[in-house]
Amino acid sequence: MASVATEPLQTLLEQAFPDATELAVVDRTGGGDHFQVTVATPRFEGLSLVEQHRLVYDALAAPLSDGTIHELRIKTKGTA
Amino acid sequence: MTTLRDQIDEIIKNEPVALFMKGTPSFAACGNSQRALSALRTAGAPVTAVDILPDPRFRQELSALSGWPTIPQVFVKGELVGGADIVEELAATGELERKLSEALGEGYSGAREERVIALAPA
Repeated sequence: MASVATEPLQTLLEQAFPDATELAVVDRTGGGDHFQVTVATPRFEGLSLVEQHRLVYDALAAPLSDGTIHELRIKTKGTA
Repeated sequence: MTTLRDQIDEIIKNEPVALFMKGTPSFAACGNSQRALSALRTAGAPVTAVDILPDPRFRQELSALSGWPTIPQVFVKGELVGGADIVEELAATGELERKLSEALGEGYSGAREERVIALAPA
């Protein structure tokens, strides 16, 4: 469910992965700083998990560096 | 005088499996560091742990070097394997053990040990 905390991250991910077939941001603790994000996109096909996660980190570089995100869990999937 | 970055670089390059974490194996100070450690233990990996908490520069230098923004970070023979999520995922699929066998040799878990290296602020 979208919330004040998850919406900005959701927007950043949608901009970074316009082709995503699955895109979710969950505020794990309700505290607005521990997030679980899930991204499935054909763009991840053929990339290693490290490369896939790097793309997610790139998309969320601003909230990661300004402290908005205290903890981030990432689940990435190709769509094949 | 070895710079902090050189110290980190040497650990990454020289240790079979390096785990940069919050806290130590006997007392992980963060759930994700514990998850990564548990996955490595389950796979029978030797672990050289480095606590990044004592000085904020440890984490800054590590992330500058690896290009990975979060902690923990796991390296096998100099290669970034990932953070807690990736290591856990690889452990669940058996891919982590394959990777370790490839990098360290089939009998890698036979001489399993855990040790801690402390960084010295330059």
